[in-house]
Amino acid sequence: MAHQAHAYHMVDPSPWPLTGAIAALLLTSGTAIWFHFHSLILVSAGLVLLLLTMFQWWRDIIRESTFQGHHTPPVQKGLRYGMILFITSEVFFFLGFFWAFYHSSLAPTPELGGCWPPTGVITLDPFEVPLLNTAVLLASGVTVTWAHHSIMEGERKQAIQSLTLTILLGFYFTFLQAMEYYEAPFTIADGVYGSTFFVATGFHGLHVIIGSTFLAVCLLRQVQFHFTSKHHFGFEAAAWYWHFVDVVWLFLYVSIYWWGS
Amino acid sequence: MVVFGRISQALLRSSLTQSRQLSASAAHGHGEQAARTWKILSFVVAIPGVAVCMLNTYLKMQEHAAHHEEPVFIPYSHLRIRSKRFPWGDGNKSLFHNAEVNPLPDGYEGHKE
Repeated sequence: MAHQAHAYHMVDPSPWPLTGAIAALLLTSGTAIWFHFHSLILVSAGLVLLLLTMFQWWRDIIRESTFQGHHTPPVQKGLRYGMILFITSEVFFFLGFFWAFYHSSLAPTPELGGCWPPTGVITLDPFEVPLLNTAVLLASGVTVTWAHHSIMEGERKQAIQSLTLTILLGFYFTFLQAMEYYEAPFTIADGVYGSTFFVATGFHGLHVIIGSTFLAVCLLRQVQFHFTSKHHFGFEAAAWYWHFVDVVWLFLYVSIYWWGS
Repeated sequence: MVVFGRISQALLRSSLTQSRQLSASAAHGHGEQAARTWKILSFVVAIPGVAVCMLNTYLKMQEHAAHHEEPVFIPYSHLRIRSKRFPWGDGNKSLFHNAEVNPLPDGYEGHKE
C-alpha cells in the first residue's frame, strides 16, 4: 500500500450501503404488503437481502480492522461515537413504547373499565418467570464483564468460557420469553393492554436475539484469535449493546410486568 | 445535553484509559485480579441467583398446577379485537395462540356452550 501520512481510514467504495437501503425499503413495504394482501414475496426478498448485506458488510469490516489494520486509535474513537449515537437512538425507540404504555395505563379509558390492567385481562405473575428472566439478564451482565476483563488480561480460555456462558444465558432468556408468550392468557389482539405489552416486550426480545448474535460473532472471533488485550472494540460494542438491552428489560419489568399488573 | 455529553466523554475515556491502566498495572505485577474477581462474582452471585429464581418459579408453578380453575369467558368488546384478519393461518388466531388459555372472539375452543 502507498505511504499514508495520517491515521484515518480512507474507505474503499462499497455496494453494501446501497443493498442495505434497498433491503430496508423491501422490508418495510413488504411487511405492509404482507399485512394487507397476505403475500410474503417482498418481505422475504427484503429479509434475504438484509442478511446478505449484514454478513458481507461486517465481513468487510473485520477484514479492514483485524487483517488490514485500518482501525487506528482515531478511527476507533469514531467507532465509539458511532455506537454511542446508535444506542442513544435505540433509547428513544424504546421511549416511544414506554410513552404508549404509560399514556394508556395511567389514565385508562372508560372502554377498558377505567382500570389497569383492563377489565377481563389476566396478567402474568411478575414474581415467576419474569423475575427469573431478570436474574438471567443481570447474571449475563456479570459474565460479559468477566469476558471483558479476561480479554484485557489475555486470559484466552476464560474469555471463551465467559462469552459462551453469556450467550447461553441470552438463549435461556429467549426460550423463557417464548414460553411466556405461549402461556400468556392474553394476546396482541386484546386491546391496548395486549398491543403495548407485545410490542414493547417483542421488540425487546428481538434486541436480545440481535445482542446474542452480536456476542456469538465475538465468540467466533475470539476463538479465531481476532481480539488482542488492547484491540477488541467489536467486543466492547457488543457488551455496550448487551448492557443496554439489560437496562431496557429492567424498565420493562418494573413498568409493564410489575406496576402494570 | 450537557449530561449526555459528559456521559459519552466518560464512556470514551473510560474504555480508552481502562485498557491502558490495566496493562500498565499488569506490568507492575498487580491488577490481574479483575478477571478473577468477575469470575468469582459470576459463579458465587450471578449463577446462584438464577438458580434461586428457577427454584422459585418451579415451586410457584407446582402450586398453580395444584388448584387449576377453568376461566369463564365474557365477550368484552375491548378484548379479542378482530378489525383485520391476522396475515397467517385462518386469520383468527394470534401468532402465539394457545387454545387452553386464549379464547377466540366467540369463546374458548372445545368447550363452547
